[in-house]
Amino acid sequence: MDQQIVNAIFIGSIYALFAVGYTLVFGILDILNLAHSAVFMLGAALTYSLVVNHGQPFAVACILGIAASAFMGLVIEYVCLRPLRRRQAPPIAALISTIGLALVIVAAIEQGTSSSIFSWLWVDGANSVAFPAGTVPNPIWHIGDLTLEASKVAIIPITIALMLVLGYVMRYTQVGRGLRAVAENPRAARLMGLDVDRMISLTLVISSALGGLAGIMFGVALGDISPYIGRDNVEVRGLAVIVLGGMGSIPGAVIGGYLLGVVEVLTLVTLGSGASGGVAFAALFLMLVLRPQGLFGTRLRERI
Amino acid sequence: MLLRLVDVQRHFGGVRAVDGVSLEVNQGSIQGLIGPNGAGKTTLVNVVTGYARFQGGRAWLESDELTGLPAHRIASLGIARTFQNIRLFKDLTAIENVLIGMHTRRRDDTLAQLATLPLFRSDERSRIKDAYALLESVGLPHSVGTRHAATLPYGDQRRLEIARALALRPRLLILDEPAAGMNPAEKQGMRELIERLNAEGLTILLIDHDMRLVMGVCKRVAVLNFGKKIADGTPDEVSTDAGVIKAYLGTGGDREVTSAPGASGVDEATEVEEAAVTSRAAREPDKAILDVEDLTVSYGAVVAVRGVSFRVAAGEVVALIGANGAGKSTILNTLSGLIRPESGTATFDGLDLANAKASAIVRHGLVQVPEGREILARQTVLENLELATWARRDGAATRKRIEDVMKRFPILGERRALSAGSLSGGEQQMLAIARGLLARPRLLLLDEPSLGLAPQMVDEVFRAIEEIHKEGTTILLVEQNALRALGVADRAYVIETGRILLSGSGDDLLHNPAVRRAYLGG
Amino acid sequence: MDFFFNLFSDPVGFWNSHTLLISQIGINGIIATSMFLVLYSGQLSLAAPGFMAVGAYTSVLMELYWHTPFAVNIAAGTLLAALGGLLVGLPVLRLRGVFLAIATIGFIEALRLGVILNVPITGEGLGLKHAADPLGGVPIILVSLVVTVFLVWRLTKGRLGSAWSAIRQDEIAALSQGINVAQYKMIAFVFSALLAGYGGALEAHLTFIVAPGDEQYGVTRAVQILTFAVLGGSGFVLGPLAGALIVTLLPYIFLQAGPYINVFSGIFLIAVIVFRPQGIVGRGGLAIVRPAWWPRARARAPSPG
Repeated sequence: MDQQIVNAIFIGSIYALFAVGYTLVFGILDILNLAHSAVFMLGAALTYSLVVNHGQPFAVACILGIAASAFMGLVIEYVCLRPLRRRQAPPIAALISTIGLALVIVAAIEQGTSSSIFSWLWVDGANSVAFPAGTVPNPIWHIGDLTLEASKVAIIPITIALMLVLGYVMRYTQVGRGLRAVAENPRAARLMGLDVDRMISLTLVISSALGGLAGIMFGVALGDISPYIGRDNVEVRGLAVIVLGGMGSIPGAVIGGYLLGVVEVLTLVTLGSGASGGVAFAALFLMLVLRPQGLFGTRLRERI
Repeated sequence: MLLRLVDVQRHFGGVRAVDGVSLEVNQGSIQGLIGPNGAGKTTLVNVVTGYARFQGGRAWLESDELTGLPAHRIASLGIARTFQNIRLFKDLTAIENVLIGMHTRRRDDTLAQLATLPLFRSDERSRIKDAYALLESVGLPHSVGTRHAATLPYGDQRRLEIARALALRPRLLILDEPAAGMNPAEKQGMRELIERLNAEGLTILLIDHDMRLVMGVCKRVAVLNFGKKIADGTPDEVSTDAGVIKAYLGTGGDREVTSAPGASGVDEATEVEEAAVTSRAAREPDKAILDVEDLTVSYGAVVAVRGVSFRVAAGEVVALIGANGAGKSTILNTLSGLIRPESGTATFDGLDLANAKASAIVRHGLVQVPEGREILARQTVLENLELATWARRDGAATRKRIEDVMKRFPILGERRALSAGSLSGGEQQMLAIARGLLARPRLLLLDEPSLGLAPQMVDEVFRAIEEIHKEGTTILLVEQNALRALGVADRAYVIETGRILLSGSGDDLLHNPAVRRAYLGG
Repeated sequence: MDFFFNLFSDPVGFWNSHTLLISQIGINGIIATSMFLVLYSGQLSLAAPGFMAVGAYTSVLMELYWHTPFAVNIAAGTLLAALGGLLVGLPVLRLRGVFLAIATIGFIEALRLGVILNVPITGEGLGLKHAADPLGGVPIILVSLVVTVFLVWRLTKGRLGSAWSAIRQDEIAALSQGINVAQYKMIAFVFSALLAGYGGALEAHLTFIVAPGDEQYGVTRAVQILTFAVLGGSGFVLGPLAGALIVTLLPYIFLQAGPYINVFSGIFLIAVIVFRPQGIVGRGGLAIVRPAWWPRARARAPSPG
């Protein structure tokens, strides 16, 4: 049981990290960036490729993987979001354009074989691979009944540290105030001299960097890297997390992430593996019905 | 008696928006409901029509109790309403809008539709005929029928909304500021329309903050202020009521106000036109910091600003006055780079405002304090101020400037850690102005700084404006409260339906009787 | 381009060699029409795959256990899906925009992962094998599609449709015209569930197996259906239909791209949406969930002052 709680916290960390990126973009643009799970996967896949196919040290690969993810954030903004904003398209259009980009990213990795034009990116096609043993030093500790793998345990402090930094930036720095201003009232932000487009780009860069990092962690700790890890593991769970926490709320996404981790592991233990997925979605459904603003969100009221 | 309200209550958080209002509307009458901005008029309408819950009190339409009914039930009982900020079905045609208004008296034709029975066809034909008749009855020509609602001019949209409301065949029609944003001629037309509908037997509850219109058409007028009814009587009784004059017009600074403007009901349009001839002697400055030439701005098909030219010299206070919807805010938003003009130029100290980014304009020293204040309600007062220094940061001096601003507006210093949303309206306005100052403006645009404020707060805001001006900041002021604006302005321009109608020194315009009658107060 | 060439040079041969594809287009057309109904009434619901699953499993289970006739099975699946629409609609329909979308995703995944994968009678992850299509599918499907589109088109022209339009454009104004917004949204939602159930029941009989894959009854399918409607344009009933046709044919359109089909499909999607945000068919935009603060690059909505 204790072991399960450790697992819950560690998987919860990944959910939290992923969902924070999701919720950041929603908070600012009211748009669900459905390419976020593809960026998650790309971060993991690219880092793996750099280590295994290009012989880079893990640390370098990580940095490049995160940088590439951050760059994808700019691609999302410039290709999928900004053109629609200019045309004053409804947010539902952005849903489709980000899905389109996700399709492109996943398909590019999926088709990555040694003979394809994407071979520099990925050569394992649709297969699932894992980092070779020893890529990351991974001592295993035993405390009582608990088995702790360093690669998993490390995720927890990294996540918490990053969330604290992000929380600090959002709360106490000028950039953070600016991001919150754009989220609350972009018109007022422009009148105060903020370059709203640039703030949105920054949001997507931060969001995607976090998404890519979450992907790398997932790949390292679970030993499962394939074109489908985003879609299968975090795409919809990420939605559940940000709804639990309240759409647009960063602390909400963090707590929602851990909450989902715990709920999943608990249902796994009590009801068996089959039910765990369904329970998360039932919780999501109930949350929206009972408290649509989530645990930490605020309710909006339309003025007549 | 058609409508009866007893002790209606509604509050939002701590604000008592409607505080125990009782009101009666007689069958066949036009009942007026007036009050300054923020008096609770619209909230009262929202409660009565089911859009906001009753938190006390009850209401009846003849013998039908309205208390607690959902909005659509109240509508089908026979109360039709229009909305302050027009709510048409924008992507539907005018005729489709009116047809939807017939919903409650339209036979359910689902099965007939599926079978496409000819029976239904004739039904539809007669409905469409009715709809065109309704358009005609509000003064819209046939040709408007097939146009999409969003593409109609502003005045026509107002009329279309009334036609849609009439399609319900209501027992009571509630008009929420039907003449808002109209020029005097359009207002006159609206007034005639209201009188005609009433003559045909319709009972009307007319809400407006324009006393002239209300006083002209209503037999009885009730006055709301801060959620309470402060007077109820004939127009004559109300317009000479000292409490009403004070609450409604605010205090005129040093100037005395002896009667509510507009009570005499002269044809204002002609008078203003005449005045335009006499007061053309506007002395435009030669050397201007802001130079606007032939500016035209449209929203889709609606032209909001037509060929406006004006100048502001360094050190001046210049006011743009005119009715709601005249295009004043559009001009300011164009100068701030939020809207791009269709043609014409605007130059601020060498910067081409028509093409510069909004952020670059602020950095160049042109700063707007927007209408409705637009403070960041979820951030603290201090955070709002910190953020206001975004465009011009200079290390330690920034902190000092924030401290200085908090000294000037001590209330902000006291509340620095509170969320800005918890401030009162007047305090929020102070915050908005303080925020504008922190961006170190060379030209400060103030959009309706007195909007919705209590009289004492209005005094305080204008005192602050004068102080800021004395310290050397150039100010371009947009105000509906022309009396106050002209009091502080060196020069002013009167804007009407997107054009500059006349201009002159503040004092000239202030003593111009036509201007007084047409634009003073609300 | 052989695919399209054959369509014209040898239509009969094309028909015979692509019955499955044609059937799938028909099914997707019916589902797209179901999606159209909810969008037309201003509801961003992604619940269709859930109701498809209800229709599919009900009809297949009846076939397997009670050996009832095909038509009865399909009818039962359809009606049960409509009932499901009522039950799901009651709690969720007060949600708007993306919140409704996410709640309905919660519903479909809870149904798929929580119920179907865990109740033995559904065959769990393996699905159910059954006898496919006893009546030679394609004509039934195509006739169903035509009838469905016709009926929905007629509905949008009547009192119901005008109420739906009003709600889609502005719920608050619709209330002021005496329209019972909650009731009309529910009617659209239940109709939509009914059509999805029907389409799902028919689809289950295209092949010999019904299985709870993500591409079948999960989020992936929901997103695909949404794509039909948004790509095609949801202001007119033929829009989503066109979307369904195009999306279903994408693999053939980009046949030349070989393994990179999805790369091109994705680029195609983005391009269509960017250059025609209102969709391929129709003029008007979607007036769903546009927040008031959406940063407008060039102009704001007219405001008084």
